[in-house]
Amino acid sequence: MPDLHQFAQQLINGIALGGVYALIALGYTMVYGIIELINFAHGDVYTLGSYFSLSILALIPLSKYTQGWELWVIAIAVILLAALLCGIVGVLIERLAYRRLRNAPRLAPLITAIGVSLILENIMQIWKGTSEVSFPQFLPDHVHVLGGVGFHDRAVLVVAVSLIAMTALNMLVFRTKLGTAMRATAQDRDAAQLMGININATIAWTFFIGAALAGVAGFISGIYYGTTFFLNGYQAGLKAFTAAVLGGIGNITGAMLGGFLIGIVEAMTSQYISDQWTSVVVFSILILILVFRPSGLLGEQVPEKA
Amino acid sequence: MRCYIIARCVSVLAVITLTEVSLAGCSGNAPSSTTGGSVVKIGSDLPVSGGDASDGVPTANGVKLAVIDANKRKLIPGYTVVASVVDDAVNGVHNPSQGAKNIQAFASDSAVLGVIGPFNSNVAKAEIPLSNSLGIALVSPANTNPDLTKGSLAQQLRTTNPNEITYFRVCTTDDIQGPAGADYAVQVVKLKRAYVLDDNETYGKGVADQWAAQFQKDGGTVLGHDHITKGQQDFHALLTRAASLSPDVVFYGGTTSTGGGLVRKQMADAGIGNIAYFGADGVRNEQFLTDAGNAANGSYATVATVNAAKIPAAQAFLKEYQAQFNQPVGSYSANGYVAAMTIIEAVASAMKDAGGTFPTRAQVLDQLRSGKVHHSIIGNFSFDKNGDTTNKIISIYGVRSGGWVFLSQKNYAR
Repeated sequence: MPDLHQFAQQLINGIALGGVYALIALGYTMVYGIIELINFAHGDVYTLGSYFSLSILALIPLSKYTQGWELWVIAIAVILLAALLCGIVGVLIERLAYRRLRNAPRLAPLITAIGVSLILENIMQIWKGTSEVSFPQFLPDHVHVLGGVGFHDRAVLVVAVSLIAMTALNMLVFRTKLGTAMRATAQDRDAAQLMGININATIAWTFFIGAALAGVAGFISGIYYGTTFFLNGYQAGLKAFTAAVLGGIGNITGAMLGGFLIGIVEAMTSQYISDQWTSVVVFSILILILVFRPSGLLGEQVPEKA
Repeated sequence: MRCYIIARCVSVLAVITLTEVSLAGCSGNAPSSTTGGSVVKIGSDLPVSGGDASDGVPTANGVKLAVIDANKRKLIPGYTVVASVVDDAVNGVHNPSQGAKNIQAFASDSAVLGVIGPFNSNVAKAEIPLSNSLGIALVSPANTNPDLTKGSLAQQLRTTNPNEITYFRVCTTDDIQGPAGADYAVQVVKLKRAYVLDDNETYGKGVADQWAAQFQKDGGTVLGHDHITKGQQDFHALLTRAASLSPDVVFYGGTTSTGGGLVRKQMADAGIGNIAYFGADGVRNEQFLTDAGNAANGSYATVATVNAAKIPAAQAFLKEYQAQFNQPVGSYSANGYVAAMTIIEAVASAMKDAGGTFPTRAQVLDQLRSGKVHHSIIGNFSFDKNGDTTNKIISIYGVRSGGWVFLSQKNYAR
């Protein structure tokens, strides 16, 4: 059964890759859902997450005697800190670049978003240079073999973290007061404001959460690949955007599903067609979805306009 | 309506991507302007930032050392030689359009009599037509793609004056480097089953094709040949597919900056971390060791020139290099030195022939085309009618306990 094993192995590769896309896609989809802005700076916030994690890790005196649970505590602390820092960056971006343009024609904030993306890329370029930066692989990494298919702890980490993040986000959006405020703002900004919802704060929180998830993605991709590069967010951001559109933009479950699907499509293209065609296939899906099913697989959830 | 908005966003993004590429081209350093007087300038166009810096900087150091030497030994009496070092990397990767801009800037500076560079063959492809039309000598320390000098493809690059050679190189070419590597893989390392990858660039694809062809000729099997994309980060799927064919070596044609080190690193994740990795001169650098980390061991790479450490005439150079820069000598440091020296010597003899006046670029080119023998620190050689060196030595290196070590070298001159 070598073919089946191969398929399963590629499925695992695809799911791990998709986990990263999914986490980034969540941020795209949340921001689009609430203010209909495609925040193209989001992919760079993801790379920024890797860079923040690197700087935080550099502050922690890791020795080879640090082991077991201590490492996991460190990992969780780094994830949370990187997420916090990215969240703050997200809020700052919204405050400085997007808020004034909230009622401007749609093209203005979009171009601003691309400008912010270039600014972030340049800052990272000045900060860590234009080479690949290696990321310390301090977490234990065992290979598990299950029915002839091998997978690493790192891959499990990626998938586990993205599933936890999605569950937490779903609970936040559907079970908490903030989530209700977010949904109300998404549905009708003016009416929500009349009901006493602080629109600015709600939108700022949306940006915070989206950017924090990108920060988490930045950390786990650093662990997964062992390297990072200041332009990684550009490609990853585009793929994650495709994932968000595929799942139905504005739809949280859709973004997750889209992320995993895009990852799997990439792995399968590499296996059964050729690696150089992966981007062609992924972006062809984007075009096909936009043409034939613009609301995505699970349907969009965006502001209702009278 | 909504889908219209998204479609419009996508089209705007496409436009921005295009402008970004052209804007990025402007970020390189411009060479300094003419100072005139008693200065002879030698341009150096190499990738000296980002992932390519670990190749470009040691090579540029060789150029600088040649200039220091030339001034010390007063090779051009009455003139000071100055190296004008510029970068052809954009966003950390060698960039053909940046290289072309650099050549134009050099050509507009009348004190520049010749240019060292470039490092990467796709950059050379953009620069040779300019060198040819502007009539400025271009001497590469490291370009190995054969089509830059030989055959009809090379003829097409010399757009303005197809029969005038303005581009020369002091390293040998991939029609020798590729097969030499394959011979070593089969005959010495005893490898039999190869999976071949390349980065789809002029150099990477060229050397991969040459290596694969010879590997089969030597009795090995090529299980598959795939190409990676610039900027790609995830090679797990690609390598999983390769692993399923149970190769005993992965060949990578390309540079570290296009993914050479990352491929080696992720081979371990796909369960083939213990098999050999073979590359060519694009990966024999320190950045490869950084990117691949612990996985680097068991990698091999060819370099299309001699190992200077093995040549008595190069010992003084190596000592001076260490004293001056205090960092490891690169694969092509000595070639950078030699490339600069050929231009400096050409300027000196052109000046002598012109009775001590400042020579023209055409006079410098005539000297380089004369076919005279250069006694250099990498051996004696001359430029043939295509501009190629007669020196055809390939050296082979391997990674042992985290560092590149010299394994062997062979002279392919007939």
